[in-house]
Amino acid sequence: MSGHNESILREPLITGDNITYAKITDDILGPVENKPNKAWWIGFTFASLGALLWVVAVSYTFWNGIGAWGLNKTVGWAWDITGFVWWVGIGHAGTLISAVLLLFRQNWRNSINRSAEAMTIFAVICAATYVVSHMGRPWLAYWVLPLPNQFGSLWVNFNSPLVWDMFAISTYFSVSLLFWYTGLLPDIATIRDRAVGTRRKIYSIFSFGWSGSVKTWQRFEAVSLILAGISTPLVLSVHTIVSMDFATSVIPGWHTTIFPPYFVAGAIFSGFAMVLTLLLVARKVLGLENYITMFHIESMNKIIILTGSIVGVAYLTEFFIAWYSGSEYEQYAFINRSTGPYWWAYWMMMTCNVISPQLLWFKKIRLSIRATWILSIVVNVGMWFERFVIIVTSLHRDYIPSSWAMFYPTWVDVSVFVGSIGLFFTLFLLFLRVLPSIAIAEVKLLLKSASEQAKMKQIKEGHENKEYVAEYIESLEKFDSVKQEDYAKI
Amino acid sequence: MESNKKYWKGLEEYNNTPDFVKNNKNEFAEPLPIEDVLNEAGLSTVTPRRDFLKALGFGLGAVTLAACQSTPLKKSIPYLVKPEEVTPGIPNYYTSSFNGQSILVKTREGRPIKIEPNPNAGQFNCGTDARAQASVLDLYDVSKLKAPVLKTKETTWSEIDGFVKSELAKAQASGKKIRIVASTVSSPSTNAVITGFITKYPAAKLVQYDAVSYTGIIQANQNSFGKAVLPKYNFDKADLIVSFGADFLGTWISGEEFTAQYTSNRNYKSLENKKMSRHIQFESGMSLTGTNADTRVPVKLSEQGPALIALYNAITGGALPGGTLDKNATADKVIKLVAKELLQTKGKGLVVCGSNDVSTQILVNAINAAIGSYGTTIDLDNACYLYAGNDAEFNGLVAEMSRGEVGAVLFLNSNPAYDSIDSKKFADALAKVPAKISFSDRSDETASLCDVIAINHNYLESWGDANAYEGYYSIVQPTINPVFNSRQAEESLLVWADAPVKDYYQFVRNNWETKMLPALGIKWDEVLDKGVVSVTAKPAGAYSFSLSLAAVATSIVNSSKALDKDVQLQVYENIAMRDGKNANNAFLQELPDPVSKVTWDNYVAIAPKYAEKLNIKEFDVVTVKGSNGYSIDLPVLVQPGQAQGTVSIALGYGRTKVGKAGNDVGKNAFPFASFVNGTMQYATTVTLTPTGGHYELAQTQTHHSFEGRNVIREATFKEYLKNPAAGTGKSEEGHKNYDLWDQYEKPGNNWVMAIDLNACTGCGSCVVACNVENNIPVVGRDEVRRRREMHWIRIDRYYSYETKDGDVTREKEIAKLEDLDHVSVVHQPMLCQHCDHAPCETVCPVLATVHSSDGLNHMAYNRCVGTRYCANNCPYKVRRFNWFNYWNDSRFDNYLNNEFTQLVLNPDVTTRSRGVMEKCSMCIQRIQAGKLKAKIEKRPLKDGDIKMACQEACSANAIVFGDSNDPNSEVSKALRSERIYYVLEEINVKPGIGYMTKIRNTDTTVQA
Repeated sequence: MSGHNESILREPLITGDNITYAKITDDILGPVENKPNKAWWIGFTFASLGALLWVVAVSYTFWNGIGAWGLNKTVGWAWDITGFVWWVGIGHAGTLISAVLLLFRQNWRNSINRSAEAMTIFAVICAATYVVSHMGRPWLAYWVLPLPNQFGSLWVNFNSPLVWDMFAISTYFSVSLLFWYTGLLPDIATIRDRAVGTRRKIYSIFSFGWSGSVKTWQRFEAVSLILAGISTPLVLSVHTIVSMDFATSVIPGWHTTIFPPYFVAGAIFSGFAMVLTLLLVARKVLGLENYITMFHIESMNKIIILTGSIVGVAYLTEFFIAWYSGSEYEQYAFINRSTGPYWWAYWMMMTCNVISPQLLWFKKIRLSIRATWILSIVVNVGMWFERFVIIVTSLHRDYIPSSWAMFYPTWVDVSVFVGSIGLFFTLFLLFLRVLPSIAIAEVKLLLKSASEQAKMKQIKEGHENKEYVAEYIESLEKFDSVKQEDYAKI
Repeated sequence: MESNKKYWKGLEEYNNTPDFVKNNKNEFAEPLPIEDVLNEAGLSTVTPRRDFLKALGFGLGAVTLAACQSTPLKKSIPYLVKPEEVTPGIPNYYTSSFNGQSILVKTREGRPIKIEPNPNAGQFNCGTDARAQASVLDLYDVSKLKAPVLKTKETTWSEIDGFVKSELAKAQASGKKIRIVASTVSSPSTNAVITGFITKYPAAKLVQYDAVSYTGIIQANQNSFGKAVLPKYNFDKADLIVSFGADFLGTWISGEEFTAQYTSNRNYKSLENKKMSRHIQFESGMSLTGTNADTRVPVKLSEQGPALIALYNAITGGALPGGTLDKNATADKVIKLVAKELLQTKGKGLVVCGSNDVSTQILVNAINAAIGSYGTTIDLDNACYLYAGNDAEFNGLVAEMSRGEVGAVLFLNSNPAYDSIDSKKFADALAKVPAKISFSDRSDETASLCDVIAINHNYLESWGDANAYEGYYSIVQPTINPVFNSRQAEESLLVWADAPVKDYYQFVRNNWETKMLPALGIKWDEVLDKGVVSVTAKPAGAYSFSLSLAAVATSIVNSSKALDKDVQLQVYENIAMRDGKNANNAFLQELPDPVSKVTWDNYVAIAPKYAEKLNIKEFDVVTVKGSNGYSIDLPVLVQPGQAQGTVSIALGYGRTKVGKAGNDVGKNAFPFASFVNGTMQYATTVTLTPTGGHYELAQTQTHHSFEGRNVIREATFKEYLKNPAAGTGKSEEGHKNYDLWDQYEKPGNNWVMAIDLNACTGCGSCVVACNVENNIPVVGRDEVRRRREMHWIRIDRYYSYETKDGDVTREKEIAKLEDLDHVSVVHQPMLCQHCDHAPCETVCPVLATVHSSDGLNHMAYNRCVGTRYCANNCPYKVRRFNWFNYWNDSRFDNYLNNEFTQLVLNPDVTTRSRGVMEKCSMCIQRIQAGKLKAKIEKRPLKDGDIKMACQEACSANAIVFGDSNDPNSEVSKALRSERIYYVLEEINVKPGIGYMTKIRNTDTTVQA
């Protein structure tokens, strides 16, 4: 791969001037091989307190019944399914990055795919906890699986979107886990090779005897491609099916054919936002600026503008269709969303998801780490409200006005949600400590062709078009990890 | 590179022997020793030690695992000696009476569990009200005393008898009076007992005291016609009904009976004959009756008298003074038009008035006489004996007691320490009585002041009889052995009077067999079987009114002037609590008020515009201070239709010693009543002062307009006459429907329902009937506030406003209206529609809700995992989720989770655990029982064999249930009515319940 040079016009994917394979390994395995720093401990303390809150709130719910939540006869789902869809959506970026971008040969994904996939897995775990805990009788949760049984061989209802959901989520989880773990094998082997004692034994087991032979690598590449092929439809199918929980119902505001594409776009939107939220911090704290560069950040911001705009168009289309349908129930559902008692949630959603991502059209904002980080959080706040608006404002005033009701969350609702965020971060922080947060092997692939130092060598060789070189150097200005003075001479 | 090398596996292959060629065709070259294994020798081989241990280990492990799920242990005791006539699983029905109304009591294994109307009762078989339905719960009330009490200590009956007899003898000897204070005694046997008691103790006298009294009418009839009785009203014979504040469909005299009469002129059968009565209501507070009126005119309490005078003048052309309604132009206009109509419908009109003022009722008598109501719509010769209380007598008694003239007082079914107008004055007076005896079943407000609580049986444990109307007698017979050490009050009186027959059963039987049965030629057993006896009604005479009304008019005008101040307060009985005697009944407490949909509280009802004027918002707590100084703090409810300048507060709340469920629910409004001109008056003036507090009332419905949606479809009577399908939307061109699903086949029955919106008055007795029948948990005030009531059937009540520009039904447009007084109301019973394309069925992941082959939407509780998806996807929002384990959660007291109260449960219906969805099952247990019965009797099911609990309770016959596969069934006929529409039919869920349009008879001369 490094046999021929990459176009000088392409921006470098690895910055720094004396990066070697050894340095990459050292840099990335730093957090895994050394004692955690203060920042990690602070983060972990808060996160695990959050996880503890989750345990308390979920146990309280299991002990007392779903009545501990604020639901009622009219609003049967609220924060639970809002949280579920939110987490499933967040997971989507991981799959998109690991699978779709791999198939499209987007090499910049190599630096971020590992963390994104880990995020996917943890987000799906958080979502799955809601699937079980929202049930009235969670101890019977396995009944939604089509298991052989003695109830006269009672099957599940294959018409029910919840059964599709169960298939979608479990498939998604297992494929994501497999894909992630397969990708981890060479890196675990790297840790194994550098570790001693018990650590070595443990990593040895988890590296599945990776030998690093050509044959192993060849099979590894083949499996990665196959899994990418399997995962790609999942990017579309999972959130499509989640959206069908709503789209196949009769409730105005849910019964909408636009939901599948709209949900998928929204999922990618929120997933990339979450990747940014996590990596912008990890990059700084773990000192990975050379691998997760401004180019990565800007690329992800561009995806956020795109998907955010798709979501915005979907919101407007819903309104148009509600008017165009002539159905008074549909029309009322949307008027009620924007002007009813939950207007604030609707406008929160519109502001966070439609208006604020448009700020990223400005290069300055797109390249500001601080602004990007804030916007990434704003987007996920907006996406939470999107699900809340869809679920609660549709249910609380549907067909029969006598049953119209308001939903007020209890402390348990809030704690389960806040706690699930704690759980997520606990898992993520543990992940940072035990596994490499960047795919070492994949990043190494880029060193000879797409790194700043390789490009520098190209320039120094002097065969490149001067104009192109100038353009390249100009593009480097945005990088906070590039020593701009090196280029002043050229 | 291709290799031609051939490897061979053995010499046989190399040599290619014929044996090898032959065997090589088979999968296994050598035959398998199957036969050897399966023959006897193979099977009898000795199990090796290892195999044995393996099997043992697996077996032990498997059994241990299987045993991990503990099966709850339920103790049941079989009948060692099976009682005659009791077959486990088969209900027995007994006739009895509740408040004078003949009923059937359903018992299972000796436990009364359900009340039904008695089909033998003839014209008095008219459903049951909510109180009757709920009364079965009172039997299992844990707040009752378990033994008689003497001076606050539980004791034995002999102690009680000794004490009471000596006290009575002392009182008699000292020349002091003995008084029995009882709410109206309509039972001939009880009356005979009391007569016997008075013979023994000549100082004794019966004082009939009704918490809510009808003395006004009784005395007016005495005054006008010399008959001191309540007449029998015939609303079925009235084409035009004008009511001044009488809630005759709800609480006035005999609501369910009047409902049956009233709706017989307005239901689908009557409408098919192009006949519908007209009903005009003048009232201050919005009553159930007011919500059903074709025209309802809000009038202040002070305007009610003048309105009657004006009506009298307009009808007779008289010139009584005071008939001016200058401040209420609408009422003035309507009165004039009503007078004209009343004259046109002479003999078929009826004017009733809810006032307890004698003068007012005399004037009403004069009006009714003038329009020829006597003999047709009012029958004075077959009087009603349900109320005979005399306010003055009770007032006199309090005076006697405070003067120390009373030596002994006995309280039978009365609780004046709670429901008299001045309970402190009463208590002080009572303290001066040496011997105080209560027959209450609990230590209530009065009983706790008494020396003796001689606990009485519940009526379901009692013998007795009732005489609700002249010539109409019904029996009370016990349906269970007394649960506690109680004794029937009549028996106590017999014992204390040393009567020759002390057994009350024998006494009742003797009384019937000597006094009534010989004349009728019926045997006692037949009476018990039928439950009712009626003699031919006397012909109703026409009465004319000939007295001077001058004094009457002056009195009315004076009362009106006294009231004509802000703010006028009306205290009234509401449907659920009535006078508060059953306040500990959790089913009644949780029954939403038919108008306001409030549960578990009373409140100050105030008109929206008037509240705005007073700067009071809904749920603000205000101090209501009466002109007599009594004051209470209550939350405000904004009630459209309430007359400006008036407020209403329900009686029956604020009990302090009734039991766990009823204590301190709401505030007592009885002290606002006053004793004026010899009768109790339920109107007064008060001041309202906001306390700054806020109190959220627990309502089951918080959105009150139907937003122009066609879930409610209505037409005027005129439109109906032109086109019976008016308002149903049927005339409009329909769409072609496409189905994703196949039709279900319903080869046998197809159970469906038809609901007549024009018959339903919204009284809510179906709700309680359903609660009792289907073991529906009571959830309490907090949970209702959280919108989690569990009722399977509810009555949706919507307000709309008629304006010049058409009906205004949308909340936002209503907010802009100036006139919110003239509100139209519609009641819509809403329950599971058993859709043929049920949206709940497709979304359940575990097939817990499925369709049956007889058209029902089933709910398999055991299969439900509680995702609540079905409830979300139900367009009618009739599914109810068990948020908690309502039947077994010590933390969560719903007043029903103790072993004794749970005896009220219907054993045919399972109680649902937490986390499970439930909803109307179309009384599947009744359908199964009906089918079974037909099968046992080897006959096909007949229409009417199976009745729903809601249907059976309904006085208005608004609910028709049956098999639509039978074209001749009543429901099939009803569903062929042109008024039928299906709620939300446009979303093609194919509901199984057809609704008939609401018809309003408004398009005549009178309009509000």
